[in-house]
Amino acid sequence: MAERRWRLAAWGGVLAALGLLAAWPLARLAAEGLGSGLGALVGGIGGPGAGAIVNSLWVSLAVTGLALAAGLAAAMLTERSAVAGRSALRLAILAPLVIPDFVSAMSWTRAYGPVGLSHRLLGVELPGLIGPAGIVVVLAVGAVPLAYLILVGGMRVRAEPDLERAARASGAGSWTAFRTVTLPLLWPALVAAGGLVFVTSMNAFGTPAVLGRPAGFSTMTTRIYGDLAFASSDEAFRRVISLSVLMVVVAVSIVGVVDRLGGRAVPRTGVSTGPRASAGRAPWWATTVAWTVVTLAVLVPLAALVLTALTRAVGLAPVPANLTVANFGRALDARALGDLGNSVLLAAGTAVAAVVLGLVATAAGSRWRPRLNSVVTLTFAVPGSVLAVAMLLAYGSALRDTLAIIGVAYLAKLWALGQRPISGAADRLSGDLLYAARASGASLLTAVRTVVLPLLAPAIAAGAILVFVFALHEVTISILLYGPRTATLAVTILNLQQVGDPVLTSALAVVLTAVVALLAGLLLLVVRRWPWAGGVLG
Amino acid sequence: MTARVRARRSRAPRLCPLALLAALALLAACAPVSGTPVSAPAVGGSPGPPRGTLRLYSSVTQDTIDAVIAAYNRQFPDVSVEVFRAPTGQLDGRIAGELRSGAVQADLLWATDPLSTQSYAAKDLFRAWTPAEATSVPAADRSNVFWGTRLLNMVIVHAPGMANPPRDWHDLTDASLAGRVAIPDPGFAGSAFGALGYFATADGYGMDYYRALKANGAVQVQSIADTLTGVAEGQFLAGITLDKSARDAIAAGSPLEMTWPVSGAIAIYSPIAVWKDAQNVVAAQSFVDFVLSEDGQAAVAGTGWQPIRADVSGGPAVDGPQVAPDWAALFDRQDALLTEYRSIFGG
Repeated sequence: MAERRWRLAAWGGVLAALGLLAAWPLARLAAEGLGSGLGALVGGIGGPGAGAIVNSLWVSLAVTGLALAAGLAAAMLTERSAVAGRSALRLAILAPLVIPDFVSAMSWTRAYGPVGLSHRLLGVELPGLIGPAGIVVVLAVGAVPLAYLILVGGMRVRAEPDLERAARASGAGSWTAFRTVTLPLLWPALVAAGGLVFVTSMNAFGTPAVLGRPAGFSTMTTRIYGDLAFASSDEAFRRVISLSVLMVVVAVSIVGVVDRLGGRAVPRTGVSTGPRASAGRAPWWATTVAWTVVTLAVLVPLAALVLTALTRAVGLAPVPANLTVANFGRALDARALGDLGNSVLLAAGTAVAAVVLGLVATAAGSRWRPRLNSVVTLTFAVPGSVLAVAMLLAYGSALRDTLAIIGVAYLAKLWALGQRPISGAADRLSGDLLYAARASGASLLTAVRTVVLPLLAPAIAAGAILVFVFALHEVTISILLYGPRTATLAVTILNLQQVGDPVLTSALAVVLTAVVALLAGLLLLVVRRWPWAGGVLG
Repeated sequence: MTARVRARRSRAPRLCPLALLAALALLAACAPVSGTPVSAPAVGGSPGPPRGTLRLYSSVTQDTIDAVIAAYNRQFPDVSVEVFRAPTGQLDGRIAGELRSGAVQADLLWATDPLSTQSYAAKDLFRAWTPAEATSVPAADRSNVFWGTRLLNMVIVHAPGMANPPRDWHDLTDASLAGRVAIPDPGFAGSAFGALGYFATADGYGMDYYRALKANGAVQVQSIADTLTGVAEGQFLAGITLDKSARDAIAAGSPLEMTWPVSGAIAIYSPIAVWKDAQNVVAAQSFVDFVLSEDGQAAVAGTGWQPIRADVSGGPAVDGPQVAPDWAALFDRQDALLTEYRSIFGG
């Protein structure tokens, strides 16, 4: 049986990748951190550290709930109703994706903070922005595209409109149809998205640091990075590792439980041949709410960021006399431009590799898929700096100063982003389709190529986009691992600026955004030629 | 290899491990071909002129590193200096990883503050020797394995045009500034920790100083830069920050004023040291000699930092007295100090 042989080969590949990317580096790390016994770990949990753990947990759970609800609402709106300006709305929902994590909190304080845009123009500010509520909102807005992409990828695998229409025709109200048909079928995608959002929030550092420190609010990541600043002391370094290990354990346990729940049988039905979009027009209020939220949560902070990047010096009012494009020149000197190539190469390579790994893991079979999905979040849950230290421990002597060591670390970190969307979609793919194709005489290759891959294409695109953008923005891993010829754009620009000059940091963010926009434009051109690769940008 | 992969692919599904291997191979192939991390043949016994590759690990600002290397290369054109620059935490993370998987892969360490340098010295990771200009460095700012190169001064910034601006550290606890003072979190940066270290042990301050700040509604911000941003934008009236950062922001046009505290700016020295396992000792020592020389100090001063040598001019104005934390006494007290600080400011 060809299937069986290839399934075993896929298993071999997955296990090898798990060993190289996760097991060995994490084992090296744990050995260093726990070498002194469990005392350090317990010390990390007890005392003031306990508060940070609780904070991380409830913030991440709140973010996950908010982002899933908003992402689901957005996906229903753009995919299941004929909403006006659908393409523009899709792009606007995805826009937070292009704002690097290290400036998202800053863009919000600039928009709604005590001296932000809204204060300048209207004299109002967002209460609670500095503190846990602000952290939850800003992280949730950043996580919505993640949830949205995966849910849309999941929705597109199968043409539910048929089933929804059938339910409605049989007399079900739209809420009943949503609750009993759409939601159960989306369950795997929701689980896939929820796990990623949860771990991403646990891992977030920039936002809790900027919005949390003034309120004296700590999370596990702010504790870890605080200790890292004193990593020359053995005690602090061990605490960095034991807190990180603890964070991984907590994150993966929760994701594991959710994945087990999500791993239950999903109803599988045939494929629709009818038109995809359902005819139902979105009610006017839904469209209005969507655009209002998008404007307030995405466009205004983005505008504040661009205005900051254009301001001559921090603290000057954004009036024409104070605006300049010189910051981009300062951000983009020859050195930085040279490193743009490294950034794009790393991001593209990691995106391809993560998607391939995701497909291989998916091919390895559905029985273990939930557990496999939990396991790949292991390395995703490790804070970037700590994962980089693990890679140095595991591969430093062999791969020092190469792009390969950064690439391996990126792949370990972002594998989950490539895999979980694909797996969330594949769970809803009926094996019958493959059998039917095989029974009709197609070779395994032909069956996969003509039946499975086209159906998975939106999820593959979602995974690839997520990995690419995250890798392009990545700075915490690469700043530990780069060598004389392997600096990335973000590392170089962050190094060039003084000490956290917000004007130059904003300029860097805008430059990275432009790179993403340019590549997305190129991707769109490709998509026009090969529509099946359309994904969600189409 | 490529041909084989292609041949297999033609009759196998795409989801095969070979594709994964190919992807990993591709990734590896993207790596630069250069296989010369640390070179420079050891010059046995008689040190010849420095040449080869010199690897520098640093958290010093990039423009200062660039300026000093350019000046160094004018004297020693045969040395190619490779720099790994990162903020202190990331730099120490990399060093921790390398130490535990072999040895530090650099010849030199040029740090921002003495905290990490001290702990590496305590582990005997540096080479003991005597630079030509060692005694030009004030005795408090050097040891037998590392030497201060420049001074960072913690000062007060405030909003422009204040009728009664803060003149000294104690003024930050004045009721007129209630709720409008920013202090950088000492848990994130060595320079901010230096301020904590000074206040905690200085006469007339102690941890009560932080209690008074907190009682007056002072806000802890993440970094030195956040202090500047917050004051420049009007969220705060005053704050604690670095003189060079404040001067740069003012020069760029930010609405700020800087005050040199009457009782003294808190001066933090930035040490340089040669790693014990250095591959290119000759070049490393010539670099340290250069940074401590008049030319090297002039290059440091040219980028806006106060040179460690009082006899070198060209640096920024030093507008008043300077005080310094007793770094040796702070060594190993980080946890205790930060814990006490956090019991006041939270986190």
